[in-house]
Amino acid sequence: MLSSKPFRFLSEPRTAGARAVGAWARARQGEDALPLTLRPRRVYILPTRTGIGAAVLLFLMLLAGLNYNNSMALMLCFLLAGVSLVSMYECHRTLAGLKLHAAAAESAFAGTSGHITLHFDNEDRRTRALLAVGCAQAAPSLFDLPPAAMRPVRLLYQAGTRGRQRINRLELATAAPLGLFRAWCWLHLPLEAVIYPAPHGKRPLPPPRGEPLEGHRRAHESSDEDWAWLRPFREGDAPRSVAWKAYAHGGPLLVAHYEAPAGAHRLLDFALVQDLPLEQRLSQLTQWVLDCEHRGESYALSLPGTRLPALHGPAQRRACLEALALYGL
Amino acid sequence: MSTRTWLQVLTVGRSRARAGPEARGSTPAGVPVQAIGWVLAGFLGAVALNLHHTALWCAPLALGTAAWRARAWRRRPQPPGGLLYTAVVVVLALAALLDFRTGGSLGAAASLLVVMGALKLSETTQRRDWLIVMSTALFLLLAACLDAQALWRLPLYGAELWLLCTALYALGAGTGSGAASSGSTAGAGTQTGAQAARATVLLTASARSLAAALPLAVLLFLFFPRLPGAFWALPQGDQALTGLGNEMSPGSIAHLYESDAAALRVRFDGPLPPPAQRYWRGPVLHDFDGYSWSRHPLALGAPPPLQYGGLPYRYEVTLEPNQHNVLIALEMPQGTPGTLPSFDTFDYQLITPRPALRAISYRLVSYPEYHSTEPLPQIVRQMDLWYPPRRNPRSAKLAKQLRAGARDDAAFVTAALDYLRHGGFKYTLEPPRLGLNSVDDLLFGTRQGFCEHYASAFAMLMRAGGVPARVVTGYLGGEWNRFGNYLLIRQSDAHAWDEVWLQGQGWVRVDPTSVVSPASLAEQLDGLQPALAGPTSRLRSASWILTSVQALQAVNAWWQDQVIGFNFNRQLDLIGKLGLGHQQWQALVWLLAVGGALWLALVAWSLRPRVWARPDPLARAWHRLEHKLGRGVTARAPHEGPIAYAERVGALHPEFARSLHALARRYARLRYGPAAGPAEVERFRRAVQLWRPRLRRGQSPASRGGPSG
Repeated sequence: MLSSKPFRFLSEPRTAGARAVGAWARARQGEDALPLTLRPRRVYILPTRTGIGAAVLLFLMLLAGLNYNNSMALMLCFLLAGVSLVSMYECHRTLAGLKLHAAAAESAFAGTSGHITLHFDNEDRRTRALLAVGCAQAAPSLFDLPPAAMRPVRLLYQAGTRGRQRINRLELATAAPLGLFRAWCWLHLPLEAVIYPAPHGKRPLPPPRGEPLEGHRRAHESSDEDWAWLRPFREGDAPRSVAWKAYAHGGPLLVAHYEAPAGAHRLLDFALVQDLPLEQRLSQLTQWVLDCEHRGESYALSLPGTRLPALHGPAQRRACLEALALYGL
Repeated sequence: MSTRTWLQVLTVGRSRARAGPEARGSTPAGVPVQAIGWVLAGFLGAVALNLHHTALWCAPLALGTAAWRARAWRRRPQPPGGLLYTAVVVVLALAALLDFRTGGSLGAAASLLVVMGALKLSETTQRRDWLIVMSTALFLLLAACLDAQALWRLPLYGAELWLLCTALYALGAGTGSGAASSGSTAGAGTQTGAQAARATVLLTASARSLAAALPLAVLLFLFFPRLPGAFWALPQGDQALTGLGNEMSPGSIAHLYESDAAALRVRFDGPLPPPAQRYWRGPVLHDFDGYSWSRHPLALGAPPPLQYGGLPYRYEVTLEPNQHNVLIALEMPQGTPGTLPSFDTFDYQLITPRPALRAISYRLVSYPEYHSTEPLPQIVRQMDLWYPPRRNPRSAKLAKQLRAGARDDAAFVTAALDYLRHGGFKYTLEPPRLGLNSVDDLLFGTRQGFCEHYASAFAMLMRAGGVPARVVTGYLGGEWNRFGNYLLIRQSDAHAWDEVWLQGQGWVRVDPTSVVSPASLAEQLDGLQPALAGPTSRLRSASWILTSVQALQAVNAWWQDQVIGFNFNRQLDLIGKLGLGHQQWQALVWLLAVGGALWLALVAWSLRPRVWARPDPLARAWHRLEHKLGRGVTARAPHEGPIAYAERVGALHPEFARSLHALARRYARLRYGPAAGPAEVERFRRAVQLWRPRLRRGQSPASRGGPSG
């Protein structure tokens, strides 16, 4: 469904002319810094095909009116011309003055899609309607901004290969209100997403190291009373570590934090999968990281030149995935 | 609505969606559902405005197609395929073309437009199709404007334009009721455009836009360069224009008496001519076949010079569209109007190359007295003496008898008039029919008739008696409109009289109707209608009705003259009045450039970004609290948060420290905690309002300052 073809108009410039225009706009506007107000001078506007058609139509009406020197026909033609011009201003105004507070590109696994989130702020008393924002890698998102409203707008971008993916240029466009003109604005934001290797590989996890005391482990697995402390549930927490008993008693959703026994962790070592090609190796390691996280186990990552100590949790997951994503780049 | 169709809205046709599986879904591809109703209404409205000149089958066709399309409101209609549909298309196209061939008029063009729009309507699926329907609707409105420009139609045209603009906004606005888009929309974006698609919003938006466009339209109307003439003309259809024609047969003028329509309006620079002199000359008829009179097809040389006498009348005529190509003028005009291509003929008709398709205006000078200074050319004498010899034998005999008994031509004229006066003739608008020997039938048979009968009979008598005579058709009298300061001459003022050539005097006007029925003529001269005229004229005798009718007429006349009649010459006049007359083109360019720039600036200013000035109620309540604590040491420093601020001020003023702490904590909770409802904010506002820092009398916390004891 989301083939890239219909979004061609938002894609990276293909012809030399379009590239030159893009480069000119880039040089003219410079790199954008947040928060950003779209000043009128950086909102570009051109007639659409419908607009050109309307111009031809108006010209024919003008000829008819002038030929017969018919006041009513001329007035009709002039009124329509006025309405078109007003719509041009309205179209430009839909973008001019809009504020962008924050922009972030979430990391994603290669081959999947991630979110770009933009926080727009409409301070104006009028609704800014029918806006679309998109970029070369992302299908455009459509949104309205009611008067004095701040809205997060999410874009789904297509993650490429592992490594850093830069969102070079976002295009914010509108054809409101009549579709005769299309105003657009290029945003050159410092948006960068880290694309993790695609998790892949069926090899079993390496055995845990520094095996904890047998009794401790059994106690840990058998009882929920054994946790060190509780903290509120956060998205991404393994369901396994949720204190379900406490929840069942009517309490909030809490996550049990266990004192990790010293040294009880798995070492995800690059060397363990030396027989695979590089990308598959990284994919396997990524899969292991996810598996460990899912089990709620601590893990350490060892890559040539990088060594991450044994921990677990979102921060560890992210550090490991980033190290894997950027390995060798 | 799917993202794809949205993109179509944005790219407009660049990626044209094929009617794929998703287009067969619940929404027509690329078109907001609400827009369909607006476009259908706009199209039907445009068709309705053209009803008066399109073919009869146009209205049912448009209504039927629109109803059929509306039935398939929310889904994409299956175009009625196959042989039947093709046959219908072919038949309709042929019908329209046939209409074009027979009529060849604007009405036929409008019929064709209706067919095109209706056929397109039956297969509308995409935004582009709807835009084509909109274009045909706009062109239909244009056709109506080209064809009919009466003032009373103006509100209709305005309403239709508003409707069409609203349809344009609806087509542009999009919809919220479409299917949820494919996961890529913003979280809040599923109702995209829903707000913009509401009827009131659309109507307001288009009305505002039209109002903003109006100043520009007026500017362009006044100063966009007009053309001095047409460069291409659709042949005008056989419109039933009432008015004088190129022919006069018994009954042709009587039928004009039923028409209240204006024929011409005249504004005089100075005083009006007295009623008896208000003879408005039109087509002059020479050729008589025994029954009807017609104009002579050939131009017989230049007008013989005249010697004018009396006070000249200078005036401007606005002539309604007519069938003849004669400029109506007060007897006797001198020269031709400079602003129109026209020439003077041997019988003093002012001829324009083609009949006026719309109201035209021109200035003239006329003299109440005139004398021919040269003898009548032989060719004209022969023409104006000829009558069909086998027709009207008794009248010819009577004429010869009267001529034989008269001393000279002038006496013969008098004798003939006496014959009409005392012969028991009756003036009536409903005379019995006359046969081919119309003059004999009138003089010796029916003895009933009105101006054209008597003018025809008198001219025939004159010719038979050897006096050159011709029939002049035109208008007599006129009604003074004091609101518009003009003389209104209606079609019902049409009149026919004679001109006879008398040796030594030249052409002399003789009005035989005046001797038959002096009373009826006097009535006409007073601006009243003959007794048998239509009901409106009887109504007009009541004075207040007369007043209001005249006021309406004045407005209508202003509309006709100043708005509909605004043309190349009037534009020149206007520039002249502005003092820019010598360089027309430069003046127009300058006026348009300056005016256009002003208008653009005005539009930009009216659309300037306007920040919502009022801060939220919570912030206002907190500001109020800060205000209560006054300035100085107790004023909040920019870096201080509410709690820190309350603690600091509380340390300075222990007497209200507790309540201040409570308020600050409450504020912090409302501001930074989970979203607070308006009720809670309101309670906080009231708490702040009621809060009185307990101070010693006459002291504000600000004036006290410093740590309290």
